[in-house]
Amino acid sequence: MHRRSAGLASLSRLEHTTQSYAQLSHHLSTTQISSLHAQLSQFRTALSAFAYTHRDSIRKDPAFRHAFQKMCVSIGVDPLAGPRKGGWWAEMLGLGDFNYELGVQVVDVCVSTRERNGGVIEMRELVGLVGKLRGVGSEAITEEDIVLSIKTLEPLGSGYQVIEVGGRKMVRSVVGELDEDQTVVLSVARENGGRLVEDTLIVSQGWTRDRARAALDNTLLRDGLCWLDEQDETTGHAYWFFSAMDWKE
Amino acid sequence: MALSTVTLPSGFLLPSIHAAPPFFTQQPNATTQASATGHWKRLILAFARFHKLYTLSLADLEDTKSPWANVLRNERINRRLLPPYLSAILQDMNTSNQATFEPPTQKTSVLLYWNTPEQWADILYDWGVSTGQLNTILTFYEITEPALESALSGIPVVLLKKAIVLLQKNGRAQVISVADGEGVKLLPQTSVP
Repeated sequence: MHRRSAGLASLSRLEHTTQSYAQLSHHLSTTQISSLHAQLSQFRTALSAFAYTHRDSIRKDPAFRHAFQKMCVSIGVDPLAGPRKGGWWAEMLGLGDFNYELGVQVVDVCVSTRERNGGVIEMRELVGLVGKLRGVGSEAITEEDIVLSIKTLEPLGSGYQVIEVGGRKMVRSVVGELDEDQTVVLSVARENGGRLVEDTLIVSQGWTRDRARAALDNTLLRDGLCWLDEQDETTGHAYWFFSAMDWKE
Repeated sequence: MALSTVTLPSGFLLPSIHAAPPFFTQQPNATTQASATGHWKRLILAFARFHKLYTLSLADLEDTKSPWANVLRNERINRRLLPPYLSAILQDMNTSNQATFEPPTQKTSVLLYWNTPEQWADILYDWGVSTGQLNTILTFYEITEPALESALSGIPVVLLKKAIVLLQKNGRAQVISVADGEGVKLLPQTSVP
């Protein structure tokens, strides 16, 4: 029967064993880390190589770009993030520039149509106008691109926001919330081709005349989101929402 | 309802905003109104330039035969500009030197500056140079109704005079009395300042 020996020699042997174990574990974790590093850099190289090879497709083909963006998100790579200016996309693809450029064009369209629509523009119209601004022959732009480029504007505190009104995406470029009634007003206006009168709100929403008038007047006078028409055939006082109208420029 | 541009029989292209009913109402929101006035002023000047129209007055609102009828009213949507609104637009154009009340004593009719008097002065002088009429006495009639049509054909005398006054100021013209009124002599420029 083995019995652990007593004495100094045994003590030093124990210490020796512990040390060996520590060394071994250190060695193992170092190997693991370095292998992880290797894998990571391999992945990065692969992703970069992929991005680089498909650079043109990513830049030109909106569907491909969207798929690539989704892939990046699902593996936890934020293409916009990064310690460097512009982030990883900018570094790899020049796509940072793409987003910034698009952001500038989004701002351009929002600002130049603001007086007309009060700072709320429908996504479809925005996509169309930005596309026009980029000129013929340039790559197509999708809603996802616009949303992403608005995200790049966030650090500027620009207040650009994508909102949903009556199931439609709209981009709001003015600071300040639309109150609940105004959101309803905007969506009812859309259903009516942009024209709205007090009675429509009273009938369809069950509002009192005062509430309908207050909501419309706030929208008209305070926010400039709609225009007044005093030659309306039925009421002589109709509100028109340019952002809810179909413009064929 | 779709808003689209409309090409008039004359070939002039009306902007899509002209098909929007509220475009014909003065807006209570100041920012919106500023934008609307801007659209109206651009439309008026573009239309005037296209058709070589030099005046616009409140009377054009009532006259369906006026060359302005297709701009001041939109029969397709049954809207028309009302006198107080046009009056405000004319006032604004007068202030921003895009037109001037002519005669200056009233506020219902303007002389439109789709070319400013400064631009007309240059056009007149260039015309004189290119047709070799420097140092020649020209009557106003010879300028406004030239045998060979020019950019100055049909220009109102009152506008022509404003241009000549400007040329006089920097020594490029001299007003001379002729038998039946006034004439002008365009002078060669001795030195380029």
